[in-house]
Amino acid sequence: MNGTTASRELPSGGNERTARPIHRFVIVWRTPISTADADQLRQLLAQCSLGNRRAFETLYRSVAPRLHGVALHCLGRADLAEEILQESFVRIWNNASRYEAHLSAPMTWMVNITRNLAIDQLRRFREVPLVDGQEDSLADDSPSAHELLDSAREASALNHCLETLEGPQRQSITLAYFHGLSYAELAEQLPAPLGSVKSWIRRGMERLRRCLES
Amino acid sequence: MNYQNPRLRRALAADYAIGVMSKAARRRFEALMRDDAKLRAQVAEWQENLMVLTESVAEQPVPDRVWQGVVARIDPQRLHLPEKRPFWSRLRILAAACSLVLAVALGVFYNHDPVSASATLLSGTQTPALRVKAHADYLQVEPLSLAAVQADRSLELWAIPVDGKPVSLGLVPKEGKGRVELSEAHKALLGTSVVLAVSLEPAGGSPTGQPTGPVLYQGPLAVL
Repeated sequence: MNGTTASRELPSGGNERTARPIHRFVIVWRTPISTADADQLRQLLAQCSLGNRRAFETLYRSVAPRLHGVALHCLGRADLAEEILQESFVRIWNNASRYEAHLSAPMTWMVNITRNLAIDQLRRFREVPLVDGQEDSLADDSPSAHELLDSAREASALNHCLETLEGPQRQSITLAYFHGLSYAELAEQLPAPLGSVKSWIRRGMERLRRCLES
Repeated sequence: MNYQNPRLRRALAADYAIGVMSKAARRRFEALMRDDAKLRAQVAEWQENLMVLTESVAEQPVPDRVWQGVVARIDPQRLHLPEKRPFWSRLRILAAACSLVLAVALGVFYNHDPVSASATLLSGTQTPALRVKAHADYLQVEPLSLAAVQADRSLELWAIPVDGKPVSLGLVPKEGKGRVELSEAHKALLGTSVVLAVSLEPAGGSPTGQPTGPVLYQGPLAVL
């Protein structure tokens, strides 16, 4: 992580310590629930593809908060996040029949719908220069997104794999994943030579994969 | 570029899954993926791995307006056709439901007259000929396949107790359909185990009080 992010982590560090026991409880029941959910979500998606509105509503109730979190994390603005969330569910409903259960978990499919929509939105903003005010609001919210990430870092056992990544690896992967930055944009923003950015991402991804497989 | 190189394929699949490709590269890669199931599977694998990044993203409460927005976006697709139709069909269903409720309610209020027992009377060839439903004060008789009766003859309905002589309940209405009113004695008798029978009698019924002609149909009265 670079200096700014590290300094942001510091103030929240104290709070985190007191909150940690609560997180532990969260870990205990969160993991089994999310695995049990996959089957249920798969069935709900199958029902949606048959036009079952009640199944769609159940699906919405169970995953909307999570997708909203992802949208907000990508965009950093509540109004945009809501728009993207709404668009995501319209797509989920319309494309439920295209979900390929053998390829990906239902949550992965849905998160990627939301993330892709959010990233497309961000890319459009980057192509069209933002008005001053807009730029501020985008910048203002990103630390809070990072804080969310930090405070919830303990929430999943899987997360130790993220910890195995070196700072620049994690940072470049995260920036690209949530904000849709291309190699060139990353190189410009970090700033670092293009070659370094590529190798951070590729090595980081391999390390992530090995850790998750072990 | 040689897209068959396994290392390159893996790296590109990862790049695509993260979202780090430039617009042009993304387009090219999507074109490749369309015809390459293995590549799609590789991307899916990376996407699965990358879910680690979202595990730590806190859930956010969702305002109700989002769901309303979603519904509004989904419903108009059906409303594109004649817009009033769903409304009218819903209204029609509502009206049907209301009238059903009303009918049942009226039935409950005005029809304190449920069927308490019934019998299907069979002919000698075991053909169902007559259905009899016992209400509190009368029998409702319905023909199923009655033989034609000569003008100077009548069909008479009898109740036969387990250990007793047949008791006349009255004549079967013309054409076999109608009511047979019950006296208090008849009602008491039908409360016991009886067989119903129909005999062929002279016009107006048996002169003796007991069946004089052949028994054409019979069947046990089953209490419901």
